[in-house]
Amino acid sequence: MNQTQKPLRISVGRWLPFWVLLPAMLIIAAIQLYPTIYTILLSLQQIEPGTGRFVFVGVRNFERLLGSVAFVRSLVHTVVFLLGYVVLTLSASFAIALLLRQRLRFTPLYITLLFVPWVISDVVAGAVWRLFVVPDYGLFSPFFANPTLFGEPNGISILTTVPPNQFSPRIPLPPAPALLFLVVASAWKILPFTTLLILGALQTVAQEVQESARIDGASNLQLLRHIILPLIRPMLAVTLFYLILGGINGVGMVFSLTGGGPGTSTEVLSYLLYSIGFSKLDFGLAGALSVFIAMLNFGLIALTLRLSAAYEEH
Amino acid sequence: MLRYRQMTFFAFFVSMLLFLSSCTAPASPGEPSATQEAAPVVTWYYYDQDNTDPEANERIGNFYLAETIPQFNEEFAGRYRWVNVPRDYNLVLDLVAAVQTNGDIPDVMRTGAVDLPTFLLNNTVQDLTDYVKGAAWYADLDPKAVEACTAPDGKIYCVPVSESPYLVYFWTEMYPDGFPTTTDAFLAKAAELKAADKYALTYWGSTAFDGEGAGRYFYQVISSFGGSYDDGQGNMRLNTPENIAAVEFMREIVANGYSPEAAFVGNFEEEASFKDGLAGAFPTGFYVGYQYLNPLKSPSGQEFNTISAQDMEDAVNAGVMGLVPIFAPEGGTPGCHMDVFGFVIPNGAKNVEGAKAYIDWIMQKDRAVQWVLRAGGGVPVASSVREDAAFQTEIFKQAAAALGASDCKPWYGSLNRIPEAKKIITETMFDLLKGNPNADIAAALAAAEAEYNSSN
Repeated sequence: MNQTQKPLRISVGRWLPFWVLLPAMLIIAAIQLYPTIYTILLSLQQIEPGTGRFVFVGVRNFERLLGSVAFVRSLVHTVVFLLGYVVLTLSASFAIALLLRQRLRFTPLYITLLFVPWVISDVVAGAVWRLFVVPDYGLFSPFFANPTLFGEPNGISILTTVPPNQFSPRIPLPPAPALLFLVVASAWKILPFTTLLILGALQTVAQEVQESARIDGASNLQLLRHIILPLIRPMLAVTLFYLILGGINGVGMVFSLTGGGPGTSTEVLSYLLYSIGFSKLDFGLAGALSVFIAMLNFGLIALTLRLSAAYEEH
Repeated sequence: MLRYRQMTFFAFFVSMLLFLSSCTAPASPGEPSATQEAAPVVTWYYYDQDNTDPEANERIGNFYLAETIPQFNEEFAGRYRWVNVPRDYNLVLDLVAAVQTNGDIPDVMRTGAVDLPTFLLNNTVQDLTDYVKGAAWYADLDPKAVEACTAPDGKIYCVPVSESPYLVYFWTEMYPDGFPTTTDAFLAKAAELKAADKYALTYWGSTAFDGEGAGRYFYQVISSFGGSYDDGQGNMRLNTPENIAAVEFMREIVANGYSPEAAFVGNFEEEASFKDGLAGAFPTGFYVGYQYLNPLKSPSGQEFNTISAQDMEDAVNAGVMGLVPIFAPEGGTPGCHMDVFGFVIPNGAKNVEGAKAYIDWIMQKDRAVQWVLRAGGGVPVASSVREDAAFQTEIFKQAAAALGASDCKPWYGSLNRIPEAKKIITETMFDLLKGNPNADIAAALAAAEAEYNSSN
């Protein structure tokens, strides 16, 4: 009796984790793996005009994508947006977190107020920011229309002004005011979350360590640079991943705030993807762009991880 | 121990079954049991029969469906049952995707002839030639509307029910001598209005919604100058003397501030100044203006505030609003885009006979009147329906007169990649008028047509 029971117990024990994990693995395979494989296959196909059938075209969609003005233009917009979004959000979050760590009189109230943008949906936030700058009746429109501040004859209109002397259609620099406005609005929206992440990290820095540094004569800047920043670096890396992923893939604010305009001035890669797939119905090209965006995500995250590791070694 | 293992597996599978069953969609309360005989006729509209919000954007269509679905079901009891699946505005894409993936395909869908090239390119809809030509109502249809539903291969792929010309809505208080018929007269009047701090007109000048503006104001002006977007052979042709003249004229309007900045914003912001009486005119579709331009406030402050199509009717009846063709250069004929609305039967539809029965039901005179007024928009394409008292009101008379005085054609002509074409066209027009108003017009138009034609 004992001889038959022993192997069975081992068998159940060995396989139980597999069975427990199986439902989750099946669900992940269904909702993530299958669409991923399908998208890669789609990127290698094109619809045959007239029959509606998908035909294999190899890497032709990638060639079309890389050769198109819209793609290069959107890539430049994405880079500008991402740089502005990450730098502005990280620096503002860090500054606010440092202030909140001071345990000011109404800190809980400030934290509650800080949360407001985060609980608003992208679409609502975009619509509200849009209303601020609608020509004729936007709250801030008269400010931007000031010719002394923003140039003759009528200043700028955030939602319609395009810089007249851009480098070329492929390289739309300097960026339109709408793109910079989008950066500010998007940073405002995510600021609470990143601030709380950094504030949480700051609160884990032991008081004793900071006091020791001060006794050793460290200035505020030295304390920040040599004690605080290295200690909260893991959390900063997480925040950076989050911002990069959100910045490349987020499309809600673009939709509701600018709709990709004026002209194509705020058409970032994720918006272009929607436009190609869901307006032009060019599923093959959209598949190719999806693959490119995924690679860009992986590449940027790998680069961030590598830099972080290199910094740690140093 | 064996029993313990069996119990474990049994518990696991029961849990999985429970989980999977919780993932299935609950049966809709409106769905009948399998024992009922009536075969479903599935329609797709962007109206929702269950949305009873009186301020919903599509309230007119919503209420139309809520009222007529039971009527159809009563009339066809035991044979057919109308099941409408409410969709969002992206239903063209949804249909293409559904047919390609053999998904949930409706039996019949409300659509516009402008979507036909997209459907043909993707082999989405059925040839209806024999059905349409054999129908009792066929002889009654406006041949132009039938033409809009006819593909280059000569086959008919949609059933036209209504047509909506693009015209100009204008405030008579700002144009007491009538809306100018020539471009020169318009510019002179616009200068007068500008001096009085008013805008002569507002229009869809943005690239919003992936280039929806291509068939609106841009095409109205271009076609009035004798221009077009294509060469009749499926190629885009923009760089023509007529188109260049039209762009120069539109540039003058922008440069002189005759239109509001909001014209270039998108998201329907351009409508606001017209609805508030700050802009004197608004070139748009008859359907769009009639259905969505409300509430209204005239330049003198008279308000029309039922927040329904009634507002436009009331303003026209009060004589403060008028409908006319757009201006044209001296000696020219006003041009316009013509929308045609009707039905398609997709490939893969399960109940084709039911779909045809549904269309025949809609094409009956009284039914067609209601459909055009509340679900289709525009004016009926059947002459007998057009004679109905509902279309003898002042607003319909003015729309018919504007249509009669214009040379209306679908803006896309022989172009068949509509989504791509409209995006290229509006981006180019925006750049020439607003983004880069000193750019060389001919070079920009040539570059745009080359971009489209490179994929031909």
